[in-house]
Amino acid sequence: MKRNVAIISVGYNGRFVSKRPDINIPELIQPAVDNAIGKTKLKHDQIDAYVVGNMHTFEGINQPHLWASDHFGGSKKPVMRIATGGSTGASVYQAAYYHVASGLYDVVMAIGWEKHDEGDAQVGLMGILLPEAFSMFNFGPDMSEDRGIAGLGGGGSTGGAAFQAMSYLTKAHAGIEHIDRVAAMMRSNAAKNPYAHLQQPGCTEADIAKTPIISYPLRYGHTCPTSCGAIAMILVSEEKAKKFGITDRVAWVKGLGSGASDATTGNIIEGQITDPAEQYMCKVVSKKVYSMAGIKDPRKDIQVAEVYSGFSHQDLMWPERLGLVDEGKSPQMLDNGSFAIDGELPLNPSGGVTSTNAIGASAMVRVGEAALQVMGLAEGGHQVQRKIENVVAHGWGGLFQFVTVTVLGRTPVKK
Amino acid sequence: MTQETRIIENTWDLTAYQWKIESDALDLYVKGLKDKKILGRKCHKCGTVYVPGPTYCRKCFIDIDKVVEVAQEGVLDAFTVNIADVKGNLIEHPYITCTVKLDGTHSFLMGILEGWTDWRSVKEGMRIKVVWKDVTQGALADLSHFQLI
Repeated sequence: MKRNVAIISVGYNGRFVSKRPDINIPELIQPAVDNAIGKTKLKHDQIDAYVVGNMHTFEGINQPHLWASDHFGGSKKPVMRIATGGSTGASVYQAAYYHVASGLYDVVMAIGWEKHDEGDAQVGLMGILLPEAFSMFNFGPDMSEDRGIAGLGGGGSTGGAAFQAMSYLTKAHAGIEHIDRVAAMMRSNAAKNPYAHLQQPGCTEADIAKTPIISYPLRYGHTCPTSCGAIAMILVSEEKAKKFGITDRVAWVKGLGSGASDATTGNIIEGQITDPAEQYMCKVVSKKVYSMAGIKDPRKDIQVAEVYSGFSHQDLMWPERLGLVDEGKSPQMLDNGSFAIDGELPLNPSGGVTSTNAIGASAMVRVGEAALQVMGLAEGGHQVQRKIENVVAHGWGGLFQFVTVTVLGRTPVKK
Repeated sequence: MTQETRIIENTWDLTAYQWKIESDALDLYVKGLKDKKILGRKCHKCGTVYVPGPTYCRKCFIDIDKVVEVAQEGVLDAFTVNIADVKGNLIEHPYITCTVKLDGTHSFLMGILEGWTDWRSVKEGMRIKVVWKDVTQGALADLSHFQLI
C-alpha cells in the first residue's frame, strides 16, 4: 500500500425501487452524487477524478459515461468506466482506491448504478450465454424446447445458481428450510434500512416457504429483485483527510483484493472442472486481504460482514468461504442467531442483495454499507450496536468466478 | 401512463448465420459419441481428466494431447428440478437437469436425469449411467440422458 485511503462519505439516490419511469439514468445518478458531497464540506469541483460503472447490457444503453458525466460532474475530468458483471461496483471502488493510493489523485469519487427498468436483464444475461450456446449449435445439440439446450441453460443465472445451491446444501448437510430462514432474515433486515428495496418487516421462514419454486432448491423468495438505484462514495488520501479535518467519522481501507477462478458456468464445452459452490478464489483472496489489513484471526477481529448474495443460499456459503465460519457451519450459525443484527457476526444488516439489487451498484453498496457501519452512520435501525473495529465487504460476479474482498476499519493501517 | 412494455412479433432465423467455431474439445467428444464412446483428454502432469477434453490443462497451463476413453457410469453431482417450461408455464411432469461426474473424470457433464419417480428421493452421489440414442450420428444429441442405476 502506497498511501492510506479513507472513505469519507457514502450517498444513495434515495430508496431503491423496481421502476423509476419518471427519471432517466443521469437523473438517477445525480442525487446520489449530491448526497455524498452534501455530507462533506467539499464542493463538486474538488473531486479530482471519477470511476463509474454499471452493467450496461442490462439497460440496453452503451457507453453511459459519455452522456452521464455532465450530470455527475465528470466533464473535463478523468473518468474511468468499469464493468465486471455482478462485481462491477466493487471493481469500481477498488479502481477508485488505486487512484488515490497510487498518489495520482487525492479526492476521487466512485459511482455505481443500475436502472433496471430501462432494459431487460435477462436479455443481458443471454448475451453472456449465447456465445456458448452458438458454439454448441455446430455440434448438433438436442434442440427440443425444454429438454434440449434451452432447458439445460436453465433460464439465466437462476438455473446456474440452482446447481450451486444444491451442491452447497449437500456439502453443508442443510435443507431448503435454511435458505428460507436466511431469506426471511434478510428481508426483515431490509425493513430496517430506509434505502432497501424489498422491505418486509417481521418476514418469517413460512412467508418465504409460500413462494413458488423457480428451479429447485431455489424459490421466488430466494432470488434478488431488479432494482433501480445509485450509490456514490468519496475516497481521499490520509493527508487530505487530515487537511479537511475529517478523520473522525471515516472508514479506512485496510485491505482489498480481487481474483478470478475458472469460469464455473460458460465452460461446459471444454470440460468444466470447478464446482460452483467451491469458490476457491474467495478463500485465497480473503486470506490475502486479511493479512494486508493486519488481521490475524478474522473470526475475532471482524465484527460485521456484507456479502454479495444474488440468491439466498449464498448468504450461507460466503461467510464460510470468507473464513468467518467453519465450512458447513453457517446453517448452525443462522439457527443460533449469530447472523442477526444483534448477534455474534451480523450478516448483511442492510438486507443484502436478495433484498436490493441494482446490479452495477450492488457490490459497491456492500462496501458503502460496510463503511457506514464503521462510521456508525447506518440509518433506520440497521446500525450494529456493538463496538465495530473491522468490517468485511465482498463482491461476486462474472460467470460465477470473479470475487472482490475489502476490509474497512476504524483506524488506518500503520505505515 | 403509457404502456411500458412493447412487444414486437418477429422470428429470428438462426440458420441464416454461417460460422464455424474451432473446438478441439467438442470435435473429439462428438467423434466419440458416434461410436457410443465418451472421449476426453488427460493431463500428463497432474492427471486431471477433462470431458470434453481441451488441448490444454487449466490447472497446469500446459498443452495436453493424451486422449482417453472414460467410463459410462458415474455419480450424480448436482441437479435442479424444472417445474416450468422455458416460457414460465407450469408443466405437468417436472424434469431434472443434472451435472454428473463419470468415473475417473474430474469434469462435469450436463444433461437430463431419468429413472426416478419422486424427485424428493433423488440425492447427490447416486450412481448413474449414460443412455444413448438408438442411432448415433456424431452430435451432442447422441447422448440421450443419464439414468439412475
